[in-house]
Amino acid sequence: MLLRLENIQKRFGGVTALAEGNLEVDAGEVHLLLGENGAGKSTLMKIVAGMYPRDGGRMLWQGGEVFLGSPAEAAAIGIAMVHQESLLAPHLTVGENIFLGRGEREPLGWVSRRRMAARAARLIEEHRFPLQADWRVEKLSPAGKQLVEICRAIQHGSSLLIFDEPTSSLSEAESTEVFRIVRALRERRMGVIYITHRLEELRAVGDRVTILRDGRTVHAGPLAEATIDQIIQHMVGREISAIYHRDPIEPGETLLRVEGLTRTGVLDNISFSVRAGEIVGLAGLVGAGRTELCRALFGIDPVEAGRVWVGGREARIRSPREAVRAGIALLTEDRQKTGLALGLAISSNVILANTSAICRGGFVSGAAEARVTADYIGKLRIKASSGRQLAGRLSGGNQQKVVIAKWLYRDTRVFLFDEPTRGIDVGAKTEVFELMDSLARSGAAILMVSSELPELLQAADRILVMRQGRLTAELPRDTTQEEIMRYATLTSSGEKST
Amino acid sequence: MIQRLLPFLSLIVLFVALSIASPHFLTATNLSSVVRQTAVINIMALGMTIIIIAGGIDLSVGSILAMGGVLGCRAMERGLPVPVGILIGVLAGLACGLANGVLIARLKIAPFIVTLGTLGMLRGLTLIITNGLPVHKLPPGFAFLGEGSVLGVPFVLWLLVVCAAITHVLLEHTRLGRYAFAIGSNQDAAVYAGIPVAFHTTAVYAIGGMLTGLSGMIEASRLSTGQPTAGQGYELLAIAAVVIGGGSLRGGEGSVAGTLIGAFIMGLLSNGSDLLGVSPYLQQVIIGGVIILAVTVDELRKRRMV
Repeated sequence: MLLRLENIQKRFGGVTALAEGNLEVDAGEVHLLLGENGAGKSTLMKIVAGMYPRDGGRMLWQGGEVFLGSPAEAAAIGIAMVHQESLLAPHLTVGENIFLGRGEREPLGWVSRRRMAARAARLIEEHRFPLQADWRVEKLSPAGKQLVEICRAIQHGSSLLIFDEPTSSLSEAESTEVFRIVRALRERRMGVIYITHRLEELRAVGDRVTILRDGRTVHAGPLAEATIDQIIQHMVGREISAIYHRDPIEPGETLLRVEGLTRTGVLDNISFSVRAGEIVGLAGLVGAGRTELCRALFGIDPVEAGRVWVGGREARIRSPREAVRAGIALLTEDRQKTGLALGLAISSNVILANTSAICRGGFVSGAAEARVTADYIGKLRIKASSGRQLAGRLSGGNQQKVVIAKWLYRDTRVFLFDEPTRGIDVGAKTEVFELMDSLARSGAAILMVSSELPELLQAADRILVMRQGRLTAELPRDTTQEEIMRYATLTSSGEKST
Repeated sequence: MIQRLLPFLSLIVLFVALSIASPHFLTATNLSSVVRQTAVINIMALGMTIIIIAGGIDLSVGSILAMGGVLGCRAMERGLPVPVGILIGVLAGLACGLANGVLIARLKIAPFIVTLGTLGMLRGLTLIITNGLPVHKLPPGFAFLGEGSVLGVPFVLWLLVVCAAITHVLLEHTRLGRYAFAIGSNQDAAVYAGIPVAFHTTAVYAIGGMLTGLSGMIEASRLSTGQPTAGQGYELLAIAAVVIGGGSLRGGEGSVAGTLIGAFIMGLLSNGSDLLGVSPYLQQVIIGGVIILAVTVDELRKRRMV
């Protein structure tokens, strides 16, 4: 037994984050830690990694009880955490990042770059990572940065490695590479704790699973003995089906029409259209140009050629402002970064894109603002105490609804969703799909980018596939993941096959 | 809630403590002198409040103050009537703020850098215009702006109340104010919502410059000279007033009431130190300490929220 957690408790102020956290990890096992957002997974792992002290319970490391006061103490006994990419210093090299803060110490605090680079190179070679010690981190893909984080974590010969959602920003191919590495670490008799939201990838990596709900361990056991539906049931505490299925409706008029959109090296002569009531999926590998297409349509990146019609009228879109005016909304994967002003009230966010509608002579009508907000809180069933509550205090799903409310109030009918379910837990995912469905039913045209093929197949009416800046296929809703991957990866496939 | 009221409570405690500590504090002469001293920083800080709420900062306010004061005084020296002179000072401030805003919003350069640059440039230009000499020959009526009283209350206090009321309404009840909060809270979200961010950012700096120009004229009136060296270091006082009053340098937070309280806290600290014979050198240390204390308290409050 490598690690054993018994009844771990943690409170923040009056809020109990962990009431009864139990977990056992053996050497040479990949242990999955699952749970909805807020279930306490990250808190539990931060306690293991020495970032938080525990308020109660016991933590046994190789049989003896330990108290860790800092990540450095955790690292010293062999526990390391692979952080998300944001903890790297972008301007430094791969080698410098690997040894950041714990480099080769020479007398007088001198740092030998040469020896550091050599050591980094050995580490990289040993694990067959596609990296070079002298590459600058800012030039790396998200997957490359993840590898640097892994190198950092294992350089000390750790015996337990914690991965916090390592694949959330990676494409399928890159995820596969991460799985290979995780399995290789298992071969070396390391213990791995793996947190993920992507239930499809469980089987690819895990041996055993522990599920947290509301700060308590509610299930622990071998992965092979649990079905996905059972796992989900443990996570959400109620019965919901993993399989969401949208009933398509008869589409109406064409709301978005794109012809010959071109941006050299990024978008190559893209043409498609989306009708009212339709949800069109956009599949492709990372770098295929899906996000770039959304950015171009929304006026963030300039295009060299191509025409766009919104609701039958040609629109010249050279800035987000012109896109919004034309009736297009872009909802990016990082909702908080581009969608919401978290420090402001819900009402301020709802009226953000259409403040002028409740303005007279530059003065905002507070009464109209409150009325509009209350209206959308009711319509979209936003769980909030009032419209004056700060948007940042809402749960992820409800924040998403506030963003939608903002666009509905603007009377937007064309929605570009870029990875709408990334980082959202299972229960909330279905809610996002239902929200998109009701948007479509109320007459919106939706283009949905997703890296998760099962989700595209569940939620979209038809699926466009992109590869290297071109549309390579348009597939019906009853297509298969294999078919989509074929068009997303193969170079020999024909052009758009309608 | 208690922490939100903290600046206000500190102000009251400070006021009561000074009333007890010094017999000279609670007199009409002393209080009106506090008001007059604080008014310049206060009006400037109102502009800074809007700028900081919009996620920006203006380090050049001290230089704008001098530029506005000098140009307004030169106009009066040449024989223009007092109101016209004041208007010119205000407009000069507006123009300086506009320049800051254009550089920041259109060229997308960090406000810290732009206003650090204009801090130097405007100060230099003011010295060039005046040849380094103060503007002296001012019409006698000009003194009323800084030293006059209406109904027994210093005129600058009336002016401050009017400016504060207008700024409050602007921030809380107009589209411009709402956009300022939105831009400061999350600029990306504001851009994605189709808000004309560049226009409103520019406007915010222009308004800040305008209020600073007005402060420049009040300062000139109080000194009865247009000093090209006036206002040095005032940027720190203005920023401190906003921050002590609960404004966040990360943007999206701040209020007129808070800023007024912040400015008066500093005004009382300075006045109290004078009355109690604390050395002016030590005063600087105290004010600096208060700024750090205010931000620390605010920061701790926010961390507990998250």
